[in-house]
Amino acid sequence: MDDFTLGLLTNVGLFSFLALSAYLLLLAGEMSFGQQAFFGVGAYAGGILTTLYGVPLPLAALAAMGLGALAAFLVGLPTLRLKGLYFAMATLAAAEIARLLFELLHFQREIEGELAGPDGTQGFRGIRWIFEQGIEAQEFLLLTYALLALVLAALLLVERSRLGVTLRSVGEDPELAAALGVNVNRFKLGVAASAGALAALGGVLFAHHNTFIEPRNFDIMLGVHSLAYALIGGLGTALGPLLGVALDIGVLEGSRIFGGARMIVFGGLVAVLLVLRPRGLLDEALVHCITSRALQRR
Amino acid sequence: MLDLKGVARYFGGVRAVDGLELTVGDGEIVALIGPNGSGKSTTVNLIAGVFPLSAGAIYFRGEDIGGLPTHRRLQAGIARTFQNIRLFGQLTVWQNLWVAQNALEDRARRGFFARWLGGRARAREEIFQLLEFSALAHKQDELAANLAFGEQRRLELARALASKPKLLLLDEPAAGMNSEEIGQLRERILSLRQRGVTILLIEHVMELVMGVADRIAVLNFGQKIAEGAPAEIQADAAVRRAYLGGEA
Ligand SMILES: Nc1ncnc2c1ncn2[C@@H]1O[C@H](COP(=O)(O)OP(=O)(O)OP(=O)(O)O)[C@@H](O)[C@H]1O
Ligand SMILES: [Mg+2]
Repeated sequence: MDDFTLGLLTNVGLFSFLALSAYLLLLAGEMSFGQQAFFGVGAYAGGILTTLYGVPLPLAALAAMGLGALAAFLVGLPTLRLKGLYFAMATLAAAEIARLLFELLHFQREIEGELAGPDGTQGFRGIRWIFEQGIEAQEFLLLTYALLALVLAALLLVERSRLGVTLRSVGEDPELAAALGVNVNRFKLGVAASAGALAALGGVLFAHHNTFIEPRNFDIMLGVHSLAYALIGGLGTALGPLLGVALDIGVLEGSRIFGGARMIVFGGLVAVLLVLRPRGLLDEALVHCITSRALQRR
Repeated sequence: MLDLKGVARYFGGVRAVDGLELTVGDGEIVALIGPNGSGKSTTVNLIAGVFPLSAGAIYFRGEDIGGLPTHRRLQAGIARTFQNIRLFGQLTVWQNLWVAQNALEDRARRGFFARWLGGRARAREEIFQLLEFSALAHKQDELAANLAFGEQRRLELARALASKPKLLLLDEPAAGMNSEEIGQLRERILSLRQRGVTILLIEHVMELVMGVADRIAVLNFGQKIAEGAPAEIQADAAVRRAYLGGEA
């Protein structure tokens, strides 16, 4: 496998975590433009722990997920009280604040004769844990996809459970869900925290794959893409967002032949798709159709 | 079971419900009737906790529930149906009932251990019974959005029952039904009474009201203008003027 393909595949895997994070909130009926912030929190926290404190990556990842969940919970407390567009704007604002905080974050120490750690707008260099451990790029790719498979399996299980059905009911009609005995506020906070942890996990892996992160990695475009992944791929199953990532990155790479106009072509394609299928390619109706066929055959 | 004391709700200048006193005893079926806009649905929404009281108090089994959020009232045993059908259209019939199993005892049954000690089997069994009761067993895997009107009404009732309510609030359950369906609804309501469910029934269809209600209260402009047994209400002059449309 050449470096380009390897990098591309790893990126597809990494951004899938972010896509699933946005997807979870979309299922709960909330469109967050701020999941990139928790991706960033994970990237910085994980990078600091392994690089400055020598914490092994698995432990650092767990800690970063906890921090991502906590941050998402705290952002969710005030913002989830807002409706629709206001929630979208508030999450966007929160994520921009987070990005500014990354720019203000100077926390360097001398590690083996060199300064390492976040240096504001200059970014955070030398996140070298996987290289120090002698982990090859291909092994890291495998690790990423193994973790992704684990997360996906868990999500698919949850979707079939009562928890997952409740999640969709809250997204479809929160007032009705409350009338049926669901504590909607608390439920959504739980969803937001889980989504934050998921994004943070993606962020940790992203930081260690790239070895260098900077605040502008976590700007609004990343947030827009993470929503696009989920909305293109479809909200009927957790497989949808993954399809979305593959299509998004695939089409973006494929449309390089259009040169400078490629973002316009890409944006147009997304717009057309969302008009034709507002809840994505693998939407609820299609998924229900497929699963009920499969049941009948049994 | 239920006590409304001076209950009021104002929307701006509109006094939708205005100092309502109403008592529903254990196991009783009380009907609340009145012309359009007289505050019947608002009363249901107040009891269910959709919006706060402007004045007065609501007691359920002796406890003041005026400050409880909606989901806590359901868990305490108050379930409702909606005048305009509200279902989760993108969920199946089965799933619509599954998400509604939120009685306190059911929530306890979903604990980590209880779940494996037969909690799941019981939840499933109860859904089967509700499907049978509502004649929806053959539709269990259909999306709720694809059901016919009458089936949707039956599903709404079944869903309200899924939380094992002690008090059931029915807001015009017969609206849009033909007389055969109304007959079936009457049977269901009476069989619920046999099981000890207390019911507050909002209804315009007199055929149903007169057939099941122990007592009828009449609302007009948010105020109670009469209350009594069905026969008394039919004979009441004020009610006829306000509502039944007869000559006084
Ligand atoms: N959410 C609300 N906001 C503002 N006004 C409301 C609201 N709900 C009800 N109203 C007003 O309160 C009054 C009572 O309405 P309500 O729906 O309780 O009547 P109803 O007796 O249920 O009538 P119907 O038989 O038509 O269902 C009406 O004037 C209505 O416009
Ligand atoms: Mg009404």
